Amino acid sequence: MWVYVKWTFRVLVVTIVAAFLHYTLPQHDVARITDTYTKRVDFGENWWFYSHAGAGDAEKVGSRDVFFIAAILKNGKPMEYRNEDTGWGWPPYFKFNTSNLQTRAADLKSTADNPRWVVITHYGWRSNLYSIYPNAIAIREVDSPDVRIIPWFNIIFLTLLFALGWAIRVRWRRFRAARIHPVLEEVEDSLYAAGDAIEEQGGRIRRWLTGRRG
Amino acid sequence: MIAFLRFFIPLLIVQTIAYVVVSLRARARERERLQSQWRDEGQPGDQEAFVEAGLEVYEKSLRHKLLLAIYIVPWVALVAIVQWVNR
Repeated sequence: MWVYVKWTFRVLVVTIVAAFLHYTLPQHDVARITDTYTKRVDFGENWWFYSHAGAGDAEKVGSRDVFFIAAILKNGKPMEYRNEDTGWGWPPYFKFNTSNLQTRAADLKSTADNPRWVVITHYGWRSNLYSIYPNAIAIREVDSPDVRIIPWFNIIFLTLLFALGWAIRVRWRRFRAARIHPVLEEVEDSLYAAGDAIEEQGGRIRRWLTGRRG
Repeated sequence: MIAFLRFFIPLLIVQTIAYVVVSLRARARERERLQSQWRDEGQPGDQEAFVEAGLEVYEKSLRHKLLLAIYIVPWVALVAIVQWVNR
């Protein structure tokens, strides 16, 4: 029974951490930009998945105009990105150049007949169900859609994160072995010893007590 | 400005806690190291005086000053990210 609870808990934690990282870390799409536009967004259930303010703008407004970039991915599927400042907030991309990025995106628009391929760096998820969009961070033009992208940042970041997690885990286990297990064992020993002593004779109790205290 | 402070002040608090914890821990380890050094050297004179003198040297050492990286590295990283993202 406890095994199931333990494993459910573990799987849940790993899933949440993985989802969090998948949402937050940068990813790259090869696409061509078909349109750039501004749309009024009235935040609802999808409130969490927007920035809510350009750097320096009023915060906690119920609705605002958001830049969007529409694109066709390399595989032909449509994809839309929002283009919002992250400012000093979460996630820590410190993006302030939203307007510049929109200008650049507009400049790189192309048609299916005469495509200009770009790599769009973004974080976040696209969901039709909740009308949420990944946030575009950077756009750069590439010569061919078959460009090879090596996610250096993610490689380094995940390695460091794993190293940190491992370091904490090792220290925690060491701490548990040194400080918590002995105490538990002592309590256990005392209980067993007490049980034995009750079964046996009084002299043993005294000997056990003096042995323990000494 | 408020948004910046909301980012800046928690970071400063976290950095300060990390700095205090790490520097106390490093000092305690240095003290232990000096105590065992004192034993290895055949217990010359008063142990407390030996350790205190060693700690004073440690305070001025580069090793101790490197702890300031706890403050500096995040800010360097921040400036680098801001420059890189908004290029």
